[in-house]
Amino acid sequence: MATPEFILALQDTALASFIRGETAGGEWAFPVIETLHVMALATVYGSIAMVDLRMLGITSRDVRLSKLADEVLPWTWTAFLTAALTGSLMFVSMGETYWNNLEFRLKFLCMALAGVNMAIYQFGMHRRVSEWDMRLPPPLAVRTAGALSITLWTGVVFFGRWIGFSI
Amino acid sequence: MFRSIAEQIANSHLSIILQSTPWVVPVTQSIHIIALSMLFASVLMISLRLLGFGASGRSVSQIAGTLLPWIWRALLVLLLTGLLQAFIEPVRQFITPIFWLKMLLVASLAPLTLWFSRTLRANVTAWDAQATRPAVAKLFAVVSIIGWSTVIVFGRFIAYVWADYL
Repeated sequence: MATPEFILALQDTALASFIRGETAGGEWAFPVIETLHVMALATVYGSIAMVDLRMLGITSRDVRLSKLADEVLPWTWTAFLTAALTGSLMFVSMGETYWNNLEFRLKFLCMALAGVNMAIYQFGMHRRVSEWDMRLPPPLAVRTAGALSITLWTGVVFFGRWIGFSI
Repeated sequence: MFRSIAEQIANSHLSIILQSTPWVVPVTQSIHIIALSMLFASVLMISLRLLGFGASGRSVSQIAGTLLPWIWRALLVLLLTGLLQAFIEPVRQFITPIFWLKMLLVASLAPLTLWFSRTLRANVTAWDAQATRPAVAKLFAVVSIIGWSTVIVFGRFIAYVWADYL
């Protein structure tokens, strides 16, 4: 797949050059952005895992799923935005390399599937959440959504880490 | 001194086998990140609740009761995958002061968390209510968030900071 023009254009900007550490004083830009990305993804993964494990009926059994989700997911979204922002900055710095990287593509495939899985749950079982909220173990459809979610997000982390070994 | 110890480990038969198996390091690091995510998110949820953030009907002791076991499990996995990484790439780890600072920090934060767990259990009523929660609880929360965040920063910077004098 040819690299889109705009990715090449982004890579030529002063911002991209700064993130690559080519500017005096900017040598630490990439490691700093990367570290913020790790802190954000840790919050995303850890908080989603708490909800997924509740959907599986493994942990937090003393609290309703809807309540746990209300409690945890605002932090998940805040962290996700931070991860998206820092991720975009890293992408800008060498978009062509990432675009053509297999692990990078697999990471985004996992994330897209996790999004689809979340949407199916949200517009399906979640609409009647108060009907089954206290049932343990939760209904099969809910457990399936939880298992898919934690598997796909684990894939995101694995492929994400693998990008660093393959570029 | 650190360098010669590191080189001895790196030259051991098993370390060489693991070094030449390309998937071992990425897989170990990925598991390390999964475990640190469980730990970090748990620390955040407990600490933010101690500080009074998050509109939740759950009490601090309820949240801590669920999440503390995950913190201990995560720490065990972090220790094992960390040991494996140090065994495979000892030179990379041992010659940077960041690695030792990280170890020092973990060795302080783990007992601090144990202290929190015990103190909470002994003072559930006082610690659960926002009004009677002692200042030391909030101090613990702030130290935990900053401390574990710094552990992550140091962890990532092991890859970037080298000091050959060690």
